[in-house]
Amino acid sequence: MTTPAVGSGAEARTGREISLVDLLDRLLGTGVVLAGDITISLSGVDLVEVKLHAIITSVRVDSEAES
Amino acid sequence: MTDRGTYLYAVTRAPAVTPDVAALDNGTIRLVEHRDLVAVVSGVDLADYGEQGLRTHLEDIRWLERVARGHDAVVAAVAASGPVAPFRLATVFFDDVRMRARLDECYPALLRALERVEGRMEWSVKAVVPQVGEGGDVAADSPPPQLSGADYLARKRDAKQQREAAADRGAALGDTLHQTLSSTVVASRRLPAQDVRLTGHKGTMVLNAAYLVDNEAAQAFTDLVAELRSQNPEAVVEAHGPWPPYSFATLDDP
Repeated sequence: MTTPAVGSGAEARTGREISLVDLLDRLLGTGVVLAGDITISLSGVDLVEVKLHAIITSVRVDSEAES
Repeated sequence: MTDRGTYLYAVTRAPAVTPDVAALDNGTIRLVEHRDLVAVVSGVDLADYGEQGLRTHLEDIRWLERVARGHDAVVAAVAASGPVAPFRLATVFFDDVRMRARLDECYPALLRALERVEGRMEWSVKAVVPQVGEGGDVAADSPPPQLSGADYLARKRDAKQQREAAADRGAALGDTLHQTLSSTVVASRRLPAQDVRLTGHKGTMVLNAAYLVDNEAAQAFTDLVAELRSQNPEAVVEAHGPWPPYSFATLDDP
């Protein structure tokens, strides 16, 4: 996973690409939180924590599988 | 025949252009006008996007990534043509009627959110400082034989103090960077430090923050980040963006 970063000096490498971690920080942690019909029982902090736990677990499984 | 629900990506202001990007779940992007707002939606299969389906799928990193990227692509396309209030991932309604009812309840707050972000984009700045005393604990497990017990304990105590002092310096640097940056922007929000298991960064993340920056001020903002980076060579300071204002299109004041 690569992310654009500000380069050396004053040059800023800008772009649309968002790393998955940054994206999930925002799509699960912030943004307009308006309870949909479906997500009511999944909404809130629990969703974020539960899912990040799942992500961490799967990332770890993946990296162990690769090594 | 499957039940279809309405997946809400974002709200923008009328008039809006239908974004030319793929919808989730092989659906079609639609614009649903509600008063002077436009909801950007598509139909999704409730077998996958209903409560049970979401519970199962959200545990699947590949599914989650596909949906997050798809959601982001739509939001970014909307952001290109007007102010955008992106919704949390997987905001799903049984139908458009129920979605309209919910939008109506939040109408004034949605208007305020769109006003707050109009002509502005989100930038992310992160700072990582090297971990002090890495491997110290490993050495502590097996004291070198030439050290006396007292020397060994003193050395262990010094290492602990160094680590604590470094942690304090790192936290102070994160605070200083954030104060400097936030004084130049419209709004800012600190996010929790990211898990090293997700990012693979080397060291301690002392700043993970989002800044709402006027489009005309973007260059000045990245110049400031570059300046802060050169003033703090011990840290890795990175700016990313511009992104849709995910952290600032909230229904309350950030």
